[in-house]
Amino acid sequence: MRVEYINPFVEAAYNILREVMHGEIKRGELYLKSTSMPVLGVAAIIGLAGDVQGRVLVDMTKDTAIKVASTMLEGMEMEPLTHLNDMGKATITELANMITGQAVTKLHNLGFKFDLTPPAIFTGDNMEIADTGVEALIVPMILEHGKIEINVAIRERN
Amino acid sequence: MSSKAQLRKHNRLKPYHGNGGKQHEEDETIDYKMVTFSLGGKDYAVDILDVKEIANLIGVTPVPNTPAYVAGVYNLRGEIISIVDLRIMFGLPAEERSSGEPRRGLILRLNDTIIGIIVDYVDQVVGVDSSRIQPPHPIFGDINIKYISGVVEKNERLYIVLDVERIFGRESQEAEARRRRSAETEGAELAGAPAEETHEAPESIVAQRAVEARNQHELDLIFIKEELTSLVQFYPSALNNDWLASRYEDWRKERTAAEREVQLACADDAHEFLAPFYSRDTGRFWSSGSAGMFREILPERLRNTITVWNPGAGKGFESYSLACLLKKVYPESTLKIWASDNDLLSISSAPNLVFREEEVPSTYHEFVVEGKNGYTLAGMIKDSVLFEYHDITHPNVVPEMDLIVARDVLSCLPPERQASVLDEFYDKLLEHGIVIVGDHETGLAPDRWERIDGSRIAAFRKRKQEKGA
Repeated sequence: MRVEYINPFVEAAYNILREVMHGEIKRGELYLKSTSMPVLGVAAIIGLAGDVQGRVLVDMTKDTAIKVASTMLEGMEMEPLTHLNDMGKATITELANMITGQAVTKLHNLGFKFDLTPPAIFTGDNMEIADTGVEALIVPMILEHGKIEINVAIRERN
Repeated sequence: MSSKAQLRKHNRLKPYHGNGGKQHEEDETIDYKMVTFSLGGKDYAVDILDVKEIANLIGVTPVPNTPAYVAGVYNLRGEIISIVDLRIMFGLPAEERSSGEPRRGLILRLNDTIIGIIVDYVDQVVGVDSSRIQPPHPIFGDINIKYISGVVEKNERLYIVLDVERIFGRESQEAEARRRRSAETEGAELAGAPAEETHEAPESIVAQRAVEARNQHELDLIFIKEELTSLVQFYPSALNNDWLASRYEDWRKERTAAEREVQLACADDAHEFLAPFYSRDTGRFWSSGSAGMFREILPERLRNTITVWNPGAGKGFESYSLACLLKKVYPESTLKIWASDNDLLSISSAPNLVFREEEVPSTYHEFVVEGKNGYTLAGMIKDSVLFEYHDITHPNVVPEMDLIVARDVLSCLPPERQASVLDEFYDKLLEHGIVIVGDHETGLAPDRWERIDGSRIAAFRKRKQEKGA
């Protein structure tokens, strides 16, 4: 993945999570992956188009998703969740939108023109994602509620 | 120090000479080779035929309900093997270690089982005359005497030879038979050279010694190769074997002259060994000499859009040097360089590389501008290079290339990956294209690649394939 794209995503993930979550947030070691990879359980996906093609996946376990969504809802003085209902899914989708949106804004300021697709959310057990021909950058963010992986796969349009 | 320990130290300093001492050493025939290692400050050895390889054990997984000396299981390239901590097994005080730290170990092959042992450090390969191995005496080592097959002195050091068969081996009939046989032939069976080498005894001692000396060097080289892989992830293969063999000769002379061990004990040794491997002007701008060597192999004309693939770009010096050179040689052409590296820190700094004026050879001055933080490259050069954080063993989405510059990249990949990446180079290279590999990676398959005549850098062209071949 183009070097210039990396930092905007790392910074956006950190900034947004720090804004909406309480407690300490740590960034794990970045790495690359190309084979099909397991999805933790709840994954919000946003497509990218424009100068590039690709997608961003915000991935976490169901348990982490419930806790993260609850914290975000409580921040807006709403009831915490007991299970991952529609409200919870909408909240996680919004989190993915916020992270990707901020990253794309930063990239726009650097002169890269990206468009976003509306986010979609997948939940389930034993899911895998495979992107042929493009490797993914994994940005692990470690929260007190668990781990969120920002999985970015972008390639230049040749 | 306890009196027992003092006694042991005394014994080590004054090794016992068997019958004949020095003179005997000169006449001795080396027919027993052993890998030596250190444990609790004492020297131990195992038969080299029992040693499969030397390994840095990272990520040994503990297993519950096993004896304390079983450190756990380990994934040796897909094979799960048990790891035994010899210190604990032999009742020596365990060393304080953090769990993530690699442990030095030997992988032993015993009949059908493979087992790993953790030692303090692996020392070297020592050849001795098997007839000089003395029976064990109770004062040697902390180890139960039944596990010791003998004691031998070499170069004023006393080695305790362990009987790994008896320590780890299952009491299978085969092992029992083998032991009986070895006892009958007084170690001759055990002492043979490794399987692929000759088992016949040479007629004269002189000839045998020559063979042994050669074998010793071959073995040393084999161990050095394994150490390079385990210490610094450098993979010996057909690509770099010629260099390794000639480097080993120099290295042995250097180290022997300096009275240091030939074997590589740590990553620093490995880096020292590899220091002359790296191609000229690695990690800095190319001197006019290097640029000249590149210039020589470039064709008169290239396409209007020149495509270049530069994996292993590091901090970007190579990609920028290449861009400046190509811009000078083909001023009319558009230049596109795909530069990548899997070292995130290095490659991240590449797009905004800043340097001091004196780091740039005068030939590039026309492409350099002064920025806020120092000197940097002009927009026309920067815009021609696309830096990517990328692992070359993953799918490579690049168009067909005029030039592929991959210096000292392939040697950092396991041999099967080297081959698949070279296949990919072959597919992605245009008919007139040129591949440039590291100065010492010249062992490309001759049926597919031919070196450009008179090239002073390792520049290759595709060999034309017969139709249908």
